[in-house]
Amino acid sequence: MHVNLRLNISKAVIFIHTTIFGILGCGAEGPKVQDSQRFRVALLTPGPISDQSWNASAYAGLGIIRDSLGADVRHVQTRTPAEFEENFRQYGAAGFDLVIGHGFEFQEAAQRVGPEFPRTTFVTTGGTGTGPNIAALSFVFEEPSYLAGIVAASVTRSKVLAVIGGTELPPVRASFDAFAAGAKSVNPQVTVLTAFIGNWEDAGAGKEQALALIARRADVIYQNADAAGLGVFQAVRESPGVWVFGSNADQNHIAPAVTLGSVVIDVPLAFRLLAEEVKTGRFVPRVVHFDTKSNVVRWVPNPAIPPLPPAVRARVDSVRLAFAEGRGPELAGRQ
Amino acid sequence: MDILVAFWDGAFGSTYAFWSATLVRATPLLLVGLAVALAFRAGILNIGAEGQLILGAIAAAAVALQLPPAPRVVMVPLMMLAGMAGGAVWAGIAALLRRRFGVLEVISTIMLNFVALAAVSWMVRGPLQEPTRVYPMSETFAAAARWPFLITGQRLHLGIVLGLLAAGALWFVLARTAVGFRIRAIGAGARAAQSAGGVEPERVAARVFLASGALAGLAGASEVGGVTWALYEGISPGHGYTAIAVALLARLDPRWVVVSAVFFGALEAGGASMQREAGVPAVAVQIVTATILLSVLAIAQWRNARRPVGAPE
Repeated sequence: MHVNLRLNISKAVIFIHTTIFGILGCGAEGPKVQDSQRFRVALLTPGPISDQSWNASAYAGLGIIRDSLGADVRHVQTRTPAEFEENFRQYGAAGFDLVIGHGFEFQEAAQRVGPEFPRTTFVTTGGTGTGPNIAALSFVFEEPSYLAGIVAASVTRSKVLAVIGGTELPPVRASFDAFAAGAKSVNPQVTVLTAFIGNWEDAGAGKEQALALIARRADVIYQNADAAGLGVFQAVRESPGVWVFGSNADQNHIAPAVTLGSVVIDVPLAFRLLAEEVKTGRFVPRVVHFDTKSNVVRWVPNPAIPPLPPAVRARVDSVRLAFAEGRGPELAGRQ
Repeated sequence: MDILVAFWDGAFGSTYAFWSATLVRATPLLLVGLAVALAFRAGILNIGAEGQLILGAIAAAAVALQLPPAPRVVMVPLMMLAGMAGGAVWAGIAALLRRRFGVLEVISTIMLNFVALAAVSWMVRGPLQEPTRVYPMSETFAAAARWPFLITGQRLHLGIVLGLLAAGALWFVLARTAVGFRIRAIGAGARAAQSAGGVEPERVAARVFLASGALAGLAGASEVGGVTWALYEGISPGHGYTAIAVALLARLDPRWVVVSAVFFGALEAGGASMQREAGVPAVAVQIVTATILLSVLAIAQWRNARRPVGAPE
């Protein structure tokens, strides 16, 4: 009896090994040749690229860089500041041309590692740190968030709106403030409830948070919570008469019947613009601002629902034009 | 095969990989693994090493940031003491609840983990936030509060020395001293230890609990002092939980915790390398590392099963 069990365990172990390495072996027949002449780009994301949001859009951007510039690309998912630094250093040592840390939280690691590898350009998405080979991308996400606020205030019946974030990060807070400002520009009477889930992964917690806010009569929800935000969509789908906004990526397809639109950061476009500059040697390390004018940040209405009333659309269009011409409403948080 | 090569290269393949990736990752796992092994030996199911580590990190960061500038020889030991005190206090809450009200430590320590997560979130947005008050993180420590590296050009820091010393000391105490005998006795059977051995189980247990918390807290101090030089929210990616596996794989023996911690450190370092070098997706890396871990456990179990019943470990 015991002997059998032991045999089974070792058989099972062998089976699992062959299966898993077999599967991976098929999947990973990628470019192995390390051609030093090729433009090499690495991406570090703070979360899973399956979130259909912040990290997914970065990974899509990496794909664009590979396809449009013929670059050799690598991606790694990192969790802690210790890992940020380790991976920055490893890519620097491997002679990569461009290494992107996708979040403000990478700026400290970039500052530490950058000086050691002057041939590599280190870029953080968000943040303000710059140096001879260190730059930051800044998305003026507040502008389209303001437009979403206008839409929200125009469709709400209860006059209660809600914003749900993953954790309280500066850019998220700024976009929520802009959303509230946009809503109040239409109707000063609306209330905006704010909640943070406490992480960016837990879809169950996201759903609970959304249901709690809906119970407090919120009927339009602006969420910015990556993978946890998928739970918000789920809650809205189950609550008749409630609308939701997508954020970061175009999330209109996740719950097409109840989504008003998405506040999009076109990260792929931003990455392509960045990588082109770096590849041709034209890049000047700085904080690169992507605003409405660059078309990297924009409001994308959901085409699957009936169009908004013409008056609302006209209002949104005129404010967007004002942003594009640099004469939009003054928004706090812009760096 | 490329994948396994990348895995090996990332964990052991170069001096940098071993000293700066594997061992740096093994350091917190070693200290927390010892904390868990000690508690489990005494029959205390301390699942709260994660929270104790975080409190240790907060306390050490507070010392580094708030105290007037001091030379490194003063600052670093102070950070160690603060970290240990922070972890011990956090464990002390659970110890007190257990002794006074009979609250199961499995429950109280898990709950305290969540409180610790909230505490660090508050700290980096409140008392310890960086001066511009924009980012949820603390200011970077002054040079005197950064723990020394052991080898020039490598990221391995003082923390691993503390871990090895702690492992040696813990092994000696548990295996060779009367205190260690009492700890093992209450772990083996609290009632028997009391009636036959005259040991007061609850008193011993409370002290072991505090010591366990102090070790986990030291790991937190070592992370902020040796690696990040600042306090962040994601200071621990679940070291406190991984450490339970580290301790159990080592069969709660401090000497084997060293080996087991290096093994887990190598798994993490190799996993990162698989993503970096071979382009394997992060989730697939988790599958591979879990497979390796399961295999090692299965082999360990298999070898163990061949040993006659009652044989010494």
